[in-house]
Amino acid sequence: MSTIAIRSSFADETECARAIEELRAAGVGDFNTFSPIPSHKIEHAIGRPKSPVRWLVLAGGIAGVLTGLAITIGTTYEWRLNAGGKPLLSWPPFIVICFEMMVLLGGIFGFLGVLQLSGVPTTATAPGYDARFGEDRFGIVVRCDEEQAAGVESMLKESGAEEVSRCS
Amino acid sequence: MSANLHPVHRERAAKKPRAVESVAGTTMRTVAGAMIAIGVSAFGLALLRGEAAIAWEAYLVNLLFFLGIAQGAVAASAAFYLTQAKWGGSTPYRLAEAFAPFLWVGFFLFFGLYFGRSLIFPWVTHPIAQKAAWLNTPFLFARDGIGLGAMALASFAFIRVSRGDAARAWAIATDEIELPPHSIRVLAPLVGVLFAAVYSLIAFDLVMSLAPVWRSTLFGWYFFAGCFLSGLAAMALTAAVLRGRLGENNLFTNPTVMHDFGKMVFAFSVFWIYLLFAQYIVIWYGDLPVETFFVVQRVHHMPWSPLSVACLVLIWMIPFTALMSVRAKKTPVILGTVAGLSLAGMWLERYVLVVPSLSLDAIPFGATQFLISIGFIGAFLISAVPGLNRVAQAATSGEPVGDEAE
Repeated sequence: MSTIAIRSSFADETECARAIEELRAAGVGDFNTFSPIPSHKIEHAIGRPKSPVRWLVLAGGIAGVLTGLAITIGTTYEWRLNAGGKPLLSWPPFIVICFEMMVLLGGIFGFLGVLQLSGVPTTATAPGYDARFGEDRFGIVVRCDEEQAAGVESMLKESGAEEVSRCS
Repeated sequence: MSANLHPVHRERAAKKPRAVESVAGTTMRTVAGAMIAIGVSAFGLALLRGEAAIAWEAYLVNLLFFLGIAQGAVAASAAFYLTQAKWGGSTPYRLAEAFAPFLWVGFFLFFGLYFGRSLIFPWVTHPIAQKAAWLNTPFLFARDGIGLGAMALASFAFIRVSRGDAARAWAIATDEIELPPHSIRVLAPLVGVLFAAVYSLIAFDLVMSLAPVWRSTLFGWYFFAGCFLSGLAAMALTAAVLRGRLGENNLFTNPTVMHDFGKMVFAFSVFWIYLLFAQYIVIWYGDLPVETFFVVQRVHHMPWSPLSVACLVLIWMIPFTALMSVRAKKTPVILGTVAGLSLAGMWLERYVLVVPSLSLDAIPFGATQFLISIGFIGAFLISAVPGLNRVAQAATSGEPVGDEAE
């Protein structure tokens, strides 16, 4: 029993998402999807759990607020300046610094998290990739057993695939 | 072409809602009419008993609040056209326009303020020489009257086209119709620009002029952003309430649509606190007595300080924390409750903006003000009856929305 790869291309985002839903309903779980655009429909169809990046952003945000507090409170105590008789530790301007630091560190953590978790930058392309999947076509590459192949191929064609071919 | 549909879509297409023609009728009109009668009697009684000041304060607060909802919601409909929103088919447009008849009620009630002017506007009895060219009775009623009249005319011209077949066809179209009708593309920006201009003017004239020495340039913007938020909150609350009353598979049972209502309440609640803080920080830094007193009276002065905190909690803190997760936005009970609290907060905010300028040392809220507010709720509901029936028809028409329409 050998596994083979079947490559299919779609012109339409919705049809690609439908094909993914059908593949999953049929229990063919081992496939890769390529999309030239970020697509919510395909994301929903794949049904992957939520990305852990959001926890990194949360951590970055909290770290940012703490950094902001450290900067504002620290510098205020370092340079005790009486401004217009206001209390030394006045929260209104501190909020601005803490907010900006939260956005900054949250953003940086999120960006680095995406790089780390998605494994980019990399020079290797995923198996079955075709240059058109970076231009105007959506692609699904299914890996399955040889005896399943015919069924998968007809399923893909019925869902509206333009081309279905076997690749190594 | 149902044979070509994916099973999921075929299943959904089979679940057509049962068309509902009417959701509000005689009962609602009767109850609302009784509420109006209660409000009018309470107002009359207060005038007879010499509590005119209290009655006029309640009148102004409620006028600002309900006019803000009605106009803010129409502005939301215009904003949907400008952003080419198709996430709910034609129903969000009908929902946003449902409260519009109150614009005319509010227009006429505004002129009622003429009879209470000496009790509401401090500059009527104590004119300020330097500002007399702007703050005088004939000019104020003329400019605000023209503003509100133009606003109502533009809104109704807009709504007329928006309810037409061409606009509806665009809202529920798949890809064939590129843009909404031309008249909408003229009227929607007009409604948006007029809304910003007229409601800034209303904020300056009917709120800021009650403390005639105070000024904040951003105040107009802050005020109409609050109106916009209250319009959106009223829409979300109505959607959550109608969901259970329109039978199975009505549009509001679609979690994606409720998610979108939730996103808007969340976003504009954050926008509201942003504008509030933007004013606060500038006044705090400048530390000019002529600017700070307005904030100090409301934030640091009893009995107002807890009410100001309550506004922050109701309008920003609760929506921000409760609506943060997707699941909460998609749960109508949570969304409806948060929207309701947000509306209560907006009413309180109008109260805290207006009343301390007139009665600083005590909260004059009592039976009179409560019953007058009931009267305004009645007037608002009775104006919304035909609009709500249109919402019911649109939400149960089974028109394709969102993913299905694409």
